[in-house]
Amino acid sequence: MVKITIDGKTTEVERGTTVLNAARKLGIEIPTLCDHPELTPYGGCRLCLVDVEGAKTLQTSCTLPVSNDMVVHTDTQKIHDARKFILSMIFSERNHFCPYCQVSGGDCDLQNSAYAEDMTHWPIMPNWQPYPVDASHPFIILDHNRCILCRLCVRACGELVGNFTLGVEESGAESTLVADLGLPLGESSCVGCGTCVQVCPTGSIIDRWSAYQGKETEVDTTKTICRGCSIGCGIDVLTRDNRLVRIEGDWDAEINGGVLCEVGRFHPMVEERERLLTPMIRTNGKLKATSWDGAISATAEKIISSKGKFSGVASTRLSMEALNEFKAICDAFDADSIATTEGCAAISAIFDLAESSDKAFESKIDEIKDADCYLIIGEDTTKDHQVVSFFAKRQIPAGAKLIQISDCPTGIDNFANESLTIDKKSQSKLINAIGNLIARKSVDVEKIAKTFKLNVSSLKNVMRIMSSANKVAVIFGSRCEFDDATAVLESIISLNTLLNGKLITTKGNINSVGASMLGINNIATTDNSEVVLMALGDEELPQSFSRKFEKIPFSIIFSSYISPLTANADIVLPVQNWLEQGGHFINADGQILEAKAALEAPETVISNEESLLKLAAVLNIKKQQGWEEFVKKAPTPVTIN
Amino acid sequence: MKTKRSMVLVSNDPHSIANGADEVFNRFTKELKSFNLHKEISLSKVFDINSTDISPFVIVYPEAVIYGPLKPDDVHHLVEEHLFKGRIVSEMQAPKKELSGTISWVSARKGTLPAEQRIVLERAGIIDPDSIEDYIINDGYLALGKVLTEMKSDEVISLLKESNLRGRGGAGFPTGVKWGFVAGTKSDKKYVICNADESEPGTFKDRLILEGDPHSIIEAMIIAGYAVGANEGYIYIRGEYTLAQTRLLNAINQAKEMGFLGEDIFNSGHKFDLHIHIGAGAYICGEETALIESIEGKRGEPRSRPPYPTTNGLWNKPTLINNVETLANIAPIIRNGAEWFKSFGTPSSAGTKVYTILGNVNATGAIEVPMGITLREVIAIYAKGMKNNAVLKLAQTGGSSGSIIPANLQDVPMDYDSYTNAGVTMGSGALLICSEETCVVDLAKVLLNFFRFESCGKCNPCRIGNQRAFQILTRISEGLGSIKDLDNLQDISKWLYETSNCGLGQTAGSPLKDILNYFRAEVEAHIIQKECPAGVCPMSGKSPTFN
Amino acid sequence: MIEKMKNDLDFIKTANKAVDMYHGKKDELIPILMKINQEIGFIPKEAMEEISSRMHIPQSQIISVASFYHMFFTKQTGRHVIKFCKSAPCHVAGSREVFNALTNKLELEPGETSSDGKWTLTTTSCLGVCSVGPVMMVDEDIYGNITPNQIPDILAKYE
Repeated sequence: MVKITIDGKTTEVERGTTVLNAARKLGIEIPTLCDHPELTPYGGCRLCLVDVEGAKTLQTSCTLPVSNDMVVHTDTQKIHDARKFILSMIFSERNHFCPYCQVSGGDCDLQNSAYAEDMTHWPIMPNWQPYPVDASHPFIILDHNRCILCRLCVRACGELVGNFTLGVEESGAESTLVADLGLPLGESSCVGCGTCVQVCPTGSIIDRWSAYQGKETEVDTTKTICRGCSIGCGIDVLTRDNRLVRIEGDWDAEINGGVLCEVGRFHPMVEERERLLTPMIRTNGKLKATSWDGAISATAEKIISSKGKFSGVASTRLSMEALNEFKAICDAFDADSIATTEGCAAISAIFDLAESSDKAFESKIDEIKDADCYLIIGEDTTKDHQVVSFFAKRQIPAGAKLIQISDCPTGIDNFANESLTIDKKSQSKLINAIGNLIARKSVDVEKIAKTFKLNVSSLKNVMRIMSSANKVAVIFGSRCEFDDATAVLESIISLNTLLNGKLITTKGNINSVGASMLGINNIATTDNSEVVLMALGDEELPQSFSRKFEKIPFSIIFSSYISPLTANADIVLPVQNWLEQGGHFINADGQILEAKAALEAPETVISNEESLLKLAAVLNIKKQQGWEEFVKKAPTPVTIN
Repeated sequence: MKTKRSMVLVSNDPHSIANGADEVFNRFTKELKSFNLHKEISLSKVFDINSTDISPFVIVYPEAVIYGPLKPDDVHHLVEEHLFKGRIVSEMQAPKKELSGTISWVSARKGTLPAEQRIVLERAGIIDPDSIEDYIINDGYLALGKVLTEMKSDEVISLLKESNLRGRGGAGFPTGVKWGFVAGTKSDKKYVICNADESEPGTFKDRLILEGDPHSIIEAMIIAGYAVGANEGYIYIRGEYTLAQTRLLNAINQAKEMGFLGEDIFNSGHKFDLHIHIGAGAYICGEETALIESIEGKRGEPRSRPPYPTTNGLWNKPTLINNVETLANIAPIIRNGAEWFKSFGTPSSAGTKVYTILGNVNATGAIEVPMGITLREVIAIYAKGMKNNAVLKLAQTGGSSGSIIPANLQDVPMDYDSYTNAGVTMGSGALLICSEETCVVDLAKVLLNFFRFESCGKCNPCRIGNQRAFQILTRISEGLGSIKDLDNLQDISKWLYETSNCGLGQTAGSPLKDILNYFRAEVEAHIIQKECPAGVCPMSGKSPTFN
Repeated sequence: MIEKMKNDLDFIKTANKAVDMYHGKKDELIPILMKINQEIGFIPKEAMEEISSRMHIPQSQIISVASFYHMFFTKQTGRHVIKFCKSAPCHVAGSREVFNALTNKLELEPGETSSDGKWTLTTTSCLGVCSVGPVMMVDEDIYGNITPNQIPDILAKYE
C-alpha cells in the first residue's frame, strides 16, 4: 500500500493505482476527456493534469501511478489555467458548433468541462475549414468536425470488441480517424456494435436513431436484459415520453461489461412491424376486432373441443413465467406436441445429452474471457451471439489464437489463425480425429488431413496451437444445421475434456435454456394437428417457419406484431413486446436473469404471462408448480445460478 | 591482419562531386593500378564538411597532407610523386587558412587556445571505417577486453559515475546514474539501445561518428550490456542515414566474425547480440519511449512516464538508451580513466563535446572541443568570423528545440550548468549563428513549422498549440498580426512546456519564449508599424488560408 | 485494364516478398513497409491488404503506421521525388530563394506531383548534412550548397 495526499486529504491505495483513481476514492473528481474505466489509460487529452510536488511539469493523473508519500494538488489557479488552455486549444482545432449539436446542453464532456471552468467563449478562432461527415453507415454517424482525437473509440473498437476497424491515420495536426484503410464506415469491417457511440465524449460519433431524441438529463433509464439472443447482455434502456430513445450497454453487467452488438443496440430502434392492438376473431372469413373476454373464451372453447388433438408452439423469447403457464395449459389438455419456434437440432441434442449426464458439462461465459485458444464450431459468431466473438477477438492482441471449424466461410475467418472447412457429414468425425491426435491415440496428421481433404500444414498448425495452449475455450454454436447434431456434440465434449478446456454452447434465443428445462421440445413437428396454439410474443419468424404451419386448419396466436401467420390466424390476441414487460429468463450459461419493463404498453395490450393466466383461469387449470421448482429438478448442461 | 602503408581519402560531398570528384576518384583507381600500388595503398571516399572551397580535395595519410582543389589530370603526377616516390607535391597542396580577427581576450585564459581535442572523433576521417583491423590497430576493442577480463559490472558503472560523463543527446543526464538504474532493476531480460535517430536540425555529430568510426559504438554497447546485465542490443538509426547503416551493418558482421559479438566474448561468459533497426523518418522517434514504440512496430507516440525505460522499456523490460556521442566516450574513459576524462571541460561538464557550427559564418562544420568553450570563441576561431563581417544578432543553441540567445550572452561558457544558470539549453550542441539578416518572426515561423510537422499528434497542447502558433506567426509575417497575438503566443509557449506529453512539445515553446523575451520590439514592429525591420517577411496583407 | 491488373499483382508479390524477408513477424512491420516503399516508390492499398491478411494485423493499424512516418508515401509518386530541407539551419543559409527557384521551375507546390508524372515535390526536415545547406535530395542523391541558378542543371540530370 502507498500513501497519497490530494488537496490536503490523505489515503492509502494499492501499489499501481493511478492518481485519478486515488482521487476518486477520496471523492475528488478530476475532469477527463480521453479516459474510461474500462479502457487502458491514454494520457492524450491532458485535461486531467495535476500538480505533483517535486515534479518538473504537470502530470496526467490518469496514467501516473501513486508513489509513496506523493503530494498532489488538483484545485490551484495553475491547474485551472492549464485546463482552460487545453480546452481553448481543442475548441480551436475543429468545428465545435455547440448550438446545433445533439449532445449540447449536458451530454457533451467537452462542453461540460468548459462550463466547469467558467469558460464562456472560444479564446482562439478555428480555421473555419470543414471536416467530413461520414453518414455511410446504417446506424452510426461519424462527424469529424466534432472529433477531439481522444481515441476512446479506437481503443474501444480494439480492446472491448476486438474488431480494430477504427484507427488514426497521418500524424500531428493532420491526424484523423480512419476506418480500415480509409473506407467509409458503412463499407468497412465495422460490425455496427456501437461501442464507439457509447464511449464518444462529444457528439462526434452518434447514431441516427437516437440523435436529437432526448438528452441524458431528460430521459428515464431502466436496467434490464437484452432479448436479442441467448447471451442476455445487461442493458440500459433510455426512454422519454414513453418512447424508446436509446439502448446502451450496462457497464456494470457481469456478462457483457458494457458491450453490445448491433442486434441488441440498434435493431430495436428500427422495428418497423405493425403493432397488433386489439384481439380479433375470424368471422365470415375476415378477422374482426373483439374484446379480450370474447377472444379468451373463444380460445378456451377451441382448446377444450380439440383436447388431445392440438399442438402448442411457444417462442423462446417468452419469460419463464409465461412459458410455465403455456406448458401447464398444453399439458392439461393433452397437447399432442409442445415445442418452441426455434427448431434447432443442436439445442435438442444438448439437452438430450444433459439428461443422460450426471452433471453440467458446460462452463460459464465469464470463464472463456481470458483463454489463449478459442475453438469455434458450428456458428458464424460474427452474425449470431456476436458478443461471444468479441470476447474471443479481443484476446488476439494478447496472443490468443482462434480456430474455426465450419462448413462454409464465416466472418471469423479474417481473425482466425486457422479455418477448417468441412462438410456437415464429416464434422463429428473430424473432431474425433482431432481428439485422437490430442490424446496421441493416432499421430498421422497427414493421413487425417488427406481423409478430410484439409491442407496438411493447416491441420498441423491447429494441432500445434491446441497442444501449446494454456487455457482453451470451446464455443459450440447452434445456428448451423448438422446432419447428426448429437454426434458432433459428443465429439466436442470429449475433445473439450481432453483439452481441459471451457465449453460453452451458444444455444439460440434468450430463453432457449428455460424452455428446454421446462420440458418444451425445441423442434416443432407438423403432424396431423387440427389446431395449433401459438404464443409467439414479439418474435420475428422467418418464412420457412410460417410455411410449416400453413396447412393447419385452425390457429390461435398470441403475438405483438402483425405477420403472415397472424393474417391467416383464426384468433389473434395482442401481447406486449419485450420492452413493455418483465420476467425471468435463463441464458446460455445458466444464469437466471430478471428483465424489467421500460415502456408502458397500449391499454388494449397485455403481457404474455397475464394473457396466458387469463386463458388458464377460464380453462380452470389449477396452479401447478412454479417454474423455479422445475428448474431445480430439470437436467441441464449448465450450472443454474 | 592486413595493413596498408598509406591511405588516400578523396572528398565525396555534393560540392566536390559537382566539381568533378567522381572523375578524380576514378583516376586514382586507374593510376594506383598502373603503378601497381593498389594492394598496399587504400583508397576511399570521405564526406568532408569543412573545406568546400578547396574541393575536390584529397588527404593522404599518414602524412596528413591535403591536396586541393584537384583536377583529374593532376592525379597521375600526384600518384607518381607522392605515393610512388614518396615526395610531397607542395604546389598541389591546399592553401593554409589564417585566423582572422584579433583574439586578445584569450590571454585572460592563461594563454591557451581552446584547441580541438578529439575523443569521440579521434578516428573518424582517419581510419578506414570498413576495416576492423584499422580499428583494432588504433586501440579498438581494448576497452572491451579490459572490462571483460579485469572489471566487474558494478566497477564499470562506478567508473562512469566517477567520470561525470553526461548524456550527449540533449538532456545531459548523468550516464553512470542511468546505467546504475538499469543495472539495479531485476529482470530476466534487459536491452541496450543506441539512439542514432539524430534528427535535431543542425545536428550531424552522430553521423560523423557512425560513418567514420562505427566500431566504437559497437564496442560501447557490448560494454554497456555487460555492465547493466543485457545480452541484446539495438541500434536505432534514422532512415535517411543510408551510408551509416551500411557501415554499421558491415562493422557488426566483422565484429561477429572476430568473436566480439555473439556467445562467450573473450571467454568471459558474456554474450551479446546486436541488431540494427532502421527508422522511417520521424523526429519524434528520437524521444526514448517513442523510439521504443517504433522498434515494437507501432506509431512513434511517446508513452506516459513514469514508468521510465530504465524499468519498463522495450517489450516492457528494463532498457538502457544512450546517444551515439555518449557511447563513443565509453571506451576512451575505460582505457584512460575517470581523472583523464575530467581533465577536459569544466567541473560540471567533463570531457569534450562535438559542436556543429552553422549559419551566417565563414566556416560551417563540426568541431570537438573540451566543454566550456564560449560562443564568441567558436565564432572567432572555428567559424572564422561572421560572413561578410556581419554583426552577430542571435544564436540558437541546441538545435531547433534549443534556446535563442542574443549576442550579449555569447561569453557564457557552453557547459551544462553554466548554460542552465543563464536559462539556456545546450541540447545537442548545434549552434545556429545568425546575423542581422535574420528576422526573428521569420525564424520563429520556420521553427514552429518544424514542430508542427514533426508533432506525433497524441497530446492536444503540442498537436494544436504548434499549429496555432505557426498560424499566428504566419499572419504576423503577412502584416496581419494583432497585439493579442503576442499574449496568445506567450500562453502557448508557457503551456506547451507545462502540459505536453514529451520533450518535443515541452521544448517547442522555448524559441518562442526567448524571442518574446529578447526581441519583443522586433516582433511588435511587425504588428504595430506593420514593418519587418530585417526586410525579410512578405508583409503582403493577404490573409493566408489554413487547413 | 490489364496494366492495372499487372500492377496489382506486382504490388501483392512485392508485399509477400517483404513479409517473407522478415519472417512475418509483427514487430517488423516498419521494415516491411520500408521495403515495399523502396521497391514500388509508395505503399499501395493492395500491399497493405496483403500484409493485413498474411500477418493478422488489422488494416487500420497498418495505415496508422504507414501514414505516420515521413519517409513512407501512401499515394503514387512521380518518377523522381524531391525532398527539400525546410529546417532552420538551411533556411538561415538561404534556402528560401532556392526553394522559390525550384517551385517556379517545376510549377508545383509541396505535396504535388507534376501532370506528366515526372516529379513529386515534397519538403522534409533536417537531413543531417547541415553545414552544406541549402540541401535537397532527389531520389537517393543529396545536393548541398545549392544556389538558385543551379536548379535547372540539377533537374536536367533526371529523365
